Amino acid sequence: MTTAPMELFAGTPRNARDHRVEWLVRTLLGMMTALLIVPVVIVLALLVVRGGSAISWEFLTTPPVDGMTAGGILPALVGTVWLVAVALVASVPVGVAAAVYLSEYAPDNWLTRSINLAIINLAGVPSIVHALFGVGAFVLFFRFGTSILAASLTLAVMTLPVVIVSTRESLQAVPRAFREACWNMGATRWQTIRRIVLPNAVSGILTGIILEVSRTSGETAPIMFTGAAFFLPFLPQGVLDQTMAMSLHLFVIATQVPDAPDALPFGVALVLISMVLAMNALSIGFRIYVRGRKKW
Amino acid sequence: MRPCSPRAARLSSLASILAFACGGASVGGAREVIQNKGSDTLVNVAQAWAESYSEVDSAVAVAVSGGGSGTGISAMINGTVDIANSSRRMTSSEIGAARANGTDPVEHLVGYDALAVYIHAHNPLDFLSMQQLAGIYGDDGTIERWSQLGIEMPGCPSDEIVRVSRQNNSGTFAYFREAVLDNYDFKLGSHDMHGSKDVVDLVAHTPCAIGYSGLAYATPEVKTPCLAASDTCVAPSMETALDGSYPISRPLLMYTPGDPVGEVKEYLDWVLGEEGQCIMLEAGYTPVAPVECVQ
Repeated sequence: MTTAPMELFAGTPRNARDHRVEWLVRTLLGMMTALLIVPVVIVLALLVVRGGSAISWEFLTTPPVDGMTAGGILPALVGTVWLVAVALVASVPVGVAAAVYLSEYAPDNWLTRSINLAIINLAGVPSIVHALFGVGAFVLFFRFGTSILAASLTLAVMTLPVVIVSTRESLQAVPRAFREACWNMGATRWQTIRRIVLPNAVSGILTGIILEVSRTSGETAPIMFTGAAFFLPFLPQGVLDQTMAMSLHLFVIATQVPDAPDALPFGVALVLISMVLAMNALSIGFRIYVRGRKKW
Repeated sequence: MRPCSPRAARLSSLASILAFACGGASVGGAREVIQNKGSDTLVNVAQAWAESYSEVDSAVAVAVSGGGSGTGISAMINGTVDIANSSRRMTSSEIGAARANGTDPVEHLVGYDALAVYIHAHNPLDFLSMQQLAGIYGDDGTIERWSQLGIEMPGCPSDEIVRVSRQNNSGTFAYFREAVLDNYDFKLGSHDMHGSKDVVDLVAHTPCAIGYSGLAYATPEVKTPCLAASDTCVAPSMETALDGSYPISRPLLMYTPGDPVGEVKEYLDWVLGEEGQCIMLEAGYTPVAPVECVQ
């Protein structure tokens, strides 16, 4: 009988009050959690209701026409993919390497601690400040000009802390006993990292990368002055070209194009958020797959 | 048996993401790109030019960016643009900074942002001071009736001034607010139209109305009173816009580093030609010279 323990202990008034408080706290905390998903649901519903009519195959595969009030978003879509891909190529090797060093090699001294502090602070720098840095460093000093390369490197610098922190955390989640067992078999540090630590941490590393993709594809400020164009109806041919981008396109359509149809900005936003959600879903699916194969 | 037997690292999926990302972008041939950046006032017309020019010369791509006149000018100083758009002249210190970097900015007038005040053809009002205009449109303005301007408007028995304005994301709205209202707010209750031509059409059919729109939209059905910023009242025209005496007009400029050559020169010639100037007119601005455009 499931109620037996209750009957056994629910005797005193104090006990009854404790139960009421317990119920209250639980309900309250549950409601707060439910509140978290309300904005997500509202945003998605709003975008689908108001922007759904703008979505079509043509919308995804043609450039904008008629003063950007009609046509599609192809150059912006492809541009965002370029920006994200080049940013990943730049930041993932550096970020993962740094995280491996910090997690597996670095001694716990003042230098390591100050590097960790720097990473945390880098994560807190506002994106518009990264944009200024990008203009100064990549556009002007390295003479990349306003280009995909300059914009992506700016994005890479901005998202580097995300990659480092998430990679380091997933490396540290691999039990220390695994490493010790490996060392005891005579393996070097690198052999241990290569064969034991990295394979066991790959799902966490990938989650960090996907997070970076999500953030990178939505950023506007860092690319505005470093590589994204208001209007450029051609697909980029290489990393030194300028490009349109989804996030800036959304900003432009919503604020600077008179007489744009109402559904248009919502449609652009819907495509952008769908890209991000699809990437997130991919990462979740992959994690479930990897976790299913884990033996611990 | 080797110690630490390898576990298949599934980094291959990362590679496939990258492959997907790079795969979508391999269409089109090599193009000459003209970098065009600056004024938000000009950005829509610059965009319309770039869009139409791709049909004129498909080997040239014009990359348009906004950000404001200052953005364009500093890009000119840094040498990162081929054409900088600006709705103000470069200051002498900006020109000096550009010369110090080895670029000599050359100014090209491509049109005017000149706004005329429009009233019904039968309205006896002939001149208007800038203070009166701000009194009609401004949030703290007290002019609500035609009689307050000392006129009696036939066909408008209510005597009420019907204010016609623009939607708040139009460049015309922003410039009128800046030039007439000194960036203060508009009075509520105006009829906000979605096009330069719509303003003039509504005023032409509404005896009580007053509106503002690009100078080039004047028709015989409406009247454009002269405007007085000080003692003299200046009638709106291309000449008074050109010499700067008309109070709500500013030049729209494109700067090139040195005299334009090659594709940039061809593009600017096209912009200043009939097709480019008609696009300018369609966007609500005043061309540098009268043009014949098919509606």
